[in-house]
Amino acid sequence: MAKKQINLRSKLRWGIVGVFALLILSVGFILPSAFNRAISFVERTTAVSIPHISEKSFKLGLDLQGGAHLIYKANVANIPQIDRASAVDGVRDVIERRINGLGVSEPNIQTARVGEEYRLNIELPGIEDVNQAIALIGDTPILEFREQNTEPPRELTEEEVQMMNERNAVALERANEALEKVKDGAQFDDLVKEYSEDSDTNNNNGYIGFLGPNTVLGEPLYRWAATHNSGDISDTLIESEVAHHIVRRGGQQDGVPLIDASHILVCYLGARNCPNPMYTKEEAAARAQELYDEANADNFAALARDNSDDQLSASEGGSFSPFPAGSGPYPELDSAIINTEDGQIIGPVETPYGYHVVYKQGTTVPTEYEVSHIAVAKVREVDILPPQDPWKPTELGGKQLDRAEVVTDSRTGNVQVSLQFDSEGTDLFEEITKRNVGQPVAIFLDGQPISVPTVQQVISGGNAVITGTFSVPEARELAQRLNTGALPVPIDLISEQSVGATLGAESLQKSLKAGLAGIILVMIFMMLYYRLPGILSVISLSVYISVSLAIFKLIGVTLSLAGIAGFILSIGMAVDANVLIFERLKEELREGKSMKASVEEGFIRAWSSIRDGNLSTLITCFLLIWFGSSFVQGFAATLAIGILVSMFSAITITRVLLRFVIPWFGHYGNALFLGAKKTNDSDV
Amino acid sequence: MHSMMNIIKNKKIPFFISGLLFIASVVLILTIGLKPGIDFTGGSLLELTFSQNRPALQDMQMAVDTLNIGSAVVQPADEDGYIIKMQFLGETEHQEVLRGIRTYFNAEGGQATEVVETSEGITIGIAQGGDTEPTQRILEDRFETIGPSISSELQARSWEAGIAVMIAIVLFVAYSFRKVTKPVSSWKYGMTAIIALVHDVVITMGVFVLLGHFYGIEIDIPFVVAMLTILGYSVNDTIVVFDRIREKLIREGRNAFAQTVNNGVVETIPRSINTSLTTLLVLVALFIFGGMSIHYFALALIIGIALGTYSSIFLASPLLVVWEQAGRRKV
Repeated sequence: MAKKQINLRSKLRWGIVGVFALLILSVGFILPSAFNRAISFVERTTAVSIPHISEKSFKLGLDLQGGAHLIYKANVANIPQIDRASAVDGVRDVIERRINGLGVSEPNIQTARVGEEYRLNIELPGIEDVNQAIALIGDTPILEFREQNTEPPRELTEEEVQMMNERNAVALERANEALEKVKDGAQFDDLVKEYSEDSDTNNNNGYIGFLGPNTVLGEPLYRWAATHNSGDISDTLIESEVAHHIVRRGGQQDGVPLIDASHILVCYLGARNCPNPMYTKEEAAARAQELYDEANADNFAALARDNSDDQLSASEGGSFSPFPAGSGPYPELDSAIINTEDGQIIGPVETPYGYHVVYKQGTTVPTEYEVSHIAVAKVREVDILPPQDPWKPTELGGKQLDRAEVVTDSRTGNVQVSLQFDSEGTDLFEEITKRNVGQPVAIFLDGQPISVPTVQQVISGGNAVITGTFSVPEARELAQRLNTGALPVPIDLISEQSVGATLGAESLQKSLKAGLAGIILVMIFMMLYYRLPGILSVISLSVYISVSLAIFKLIGVTLSLAGIAGFILSIGMAVDANVLIFERLKEELREGKSMKASVEEGFIRAWSSIRDGNLSTLITCFLLIWFGSSFVQGFAATLAIGILVSMFSAITITRVLLRFVIPWFGHYGNALFLGAKKTNDSDV
Repeated sequence: MHSMMNIIKNKKIPFFISGLLFIASVVLILTIGLKPGIDFTGGSLLELTFSQNRPALQDMQMAVDTLNIGSAVVQPADEDGYIIKMQFLGETEHQEVLRGIRTYFNAEGGQATEVVETSEGITIGIAQGGDTEPTQRILEDRFETIGPSISSELQARSWEAGIAVMIAIVLFVAYSFRKVTKPVSSWKYGMTAIIALVHDVVITMGVFVLLGHFYGIEIDIPFVVAMLTILGYSVNDTIVVFDRIREKLIREGRNAFAQTVNNGVVETIPRSINTSLTTLLVLVALFIFGGMSIHYFALALIIGIALGTYSSIFLASPLLVVWEQAGRRKV
């Protein structure tokens, strides 16, 4: 019997050690830096290596550390039901990439489905400029490739044709009226003011300037000017596509010399834009040499047709349209062409596209004529029909973009953005370039054309370049925007909650102060009312508080204002179990039981009340976690953890402490517990 | 010893008081109604802090009225700020409102510029004032905007959570009292607990109807949480009291039911009062020190928990006796 007592006693002693070890360990978790300093000190003085505690900090809610919580609704109306979830996941990925550029620590982005609605919850802790973040998140860079719209515009209706004819008849009449006045000797300049509808020139006596042979709309004017002399005024109306003109000729001058040239391109594997490589570089050089040896002025066109890899010019017998010296279609060939005499063929010239054999047929110097005009505008179909979009969309866009990067054109030093497509995009791009050889293809960003290159040849590598007048930062921003991609579906901001860091810090201080005040009040109350057990319950309350906080830290409970409130509330409730036990204990003592028996009885009897009472609050907590939004969950989670820990601390820790302490007081026990006089049966 | 108080005998007084308060609360809820906040109606809340003296309330209201954002309610916040409640604002409108107010008061914006890192990784921002020439700065402390789809969802979820908690508590009470059958059947214990619970929550709501009517206190998500917490906590109190009665019934027999119940209640009074006292102590600390946003959450809990303790002593147990007597008369 005595031996058993001693065993129990030593077990209890271990229990006490355990309680304090738990206290120290959990305090260590809560205040790691202070502990680690102590550990380091011990290590230095004793040369014993002790593991340090990880300096993890409490996870604070957005309302305490400042930050923003945004909720977006994804507009999935146009997406088939089965693809919606993945489209919204795509949105999340894009937003994630964009936010990563903001430098927010630990952003949290989640998708949620509420009924038929898809939502994105975005938490940005510590963000300072929410406005910027929102602009960035909602940004939709839309990259599109468009090709020329070749579809015929709709036919004019009969009414429209009639209207057009009537108005043109009026215009013609007016133009003839002006012509009559010219013939009657009226001043040309006065008539410009009265009749001309060309807003570019009618304030300048109708002066157009020097016209060359390649002016598109002015071509009839050029033809007239070429056959008349300086000072002549046309005595008939000259009709162009846009107007009826009365033209006066001025002087003449030589235009920029135009070069007529042809070429044969032999490209090789690895050369730029080589559609179907047949040769290695060396073979291509040899083949080009062969062609050069064979070529002469008579067979050049035929050779080019059969052999040139420049598909655009091959069908024209290798011929470029006449170009001013120094701005040929292949800039790399310009100097070679300039240094060649008319009528000569020069042999393999290497460019990044391959080897060229070039035939410079000749140089012509066009004559330009100075003209002024009176223009009476005609009404054309395009003036009546709504303007047709010159570009039509293709399927190729930002969706098929693999990556974009900033590159520098080695030749011009211009900054460009290079685009690499994924396999689908590569195929699409090849088809598009095949359809549009010799035609322009436009690259649109956010609905604006940013680059309109003309397709030289089919491009099969899935690589395109946006040239343009970019500065380096502009190009970098564009590449970055393209890399983060467009949002697969549009999103709307439906809720925003942001808290400044100042308010957050204030709230944190206030809630900590409230918590501290609450704890102190409860402890004072317990010690005053329950005396010795009260003091013991204060110890177990300390263990409870530090263990709970350590658990919050360990499993990463986010401490929001509501969470701290929940925890503070749980402190009040934690004492509940102790109160139940102590009240029970007192009753047992009053009934005349021994101290030891009373303690054991008190715990056993109180347990069912503690369990049932806390269970109802726990049920509420779990339902709140299940149903709740973030405020609710923060509160319910800390309250639930607090209650669970409190049940453990009240039952286990207080009991160990009480059992351990009782024998110290012997006969004085009742006074300490009840505040009543010592009774005579306080011995076992 | 236990005859000093006879709660059961004097049961008519609390019955009368509770009945009166309950009916008054129901009438208030049905006629005036609780004042829903932006959590449930949708809308925006903007909290601003002025680095210098804040302008007078009329000036602030004028500034907001010039913004052309429909009706807006301006309330003072802390000593140096205002809270403005408006319709739902998109981000562009939000920025316009901020800019408009700053322009009106010729003030600058700004952020908390000084951030102090404490040893525990807690950062404390201090709003920067002027150095020599103090310039007015208007800092945005908090902005919340809740769209109609979110607010209607919050409304629906609050109801769902409320109903789920109610059902769970009823089931729990039924389970707790499953073994007690005589002289009052277990479902009567359960019903009594539920009546006490409804009483606590409804009267708390009644108080908030008045607070809403006279002081503009609005009902938000934290209020709903407080109500649900009261449900859980109040039943806790009642269960402990009933537990004791149950134990007494087993030990002392069932002859003097009223006396037994009275003894059970009186014996648990210290415990009932002490546990709610400790909880109330921390809640009062939270109410006083916890800051604006947690103020009325703490108040709702204080009222509800105090009522819960009152009802478990003065309402639930006497009701149990009434049930028992009614049952006996029938037999």
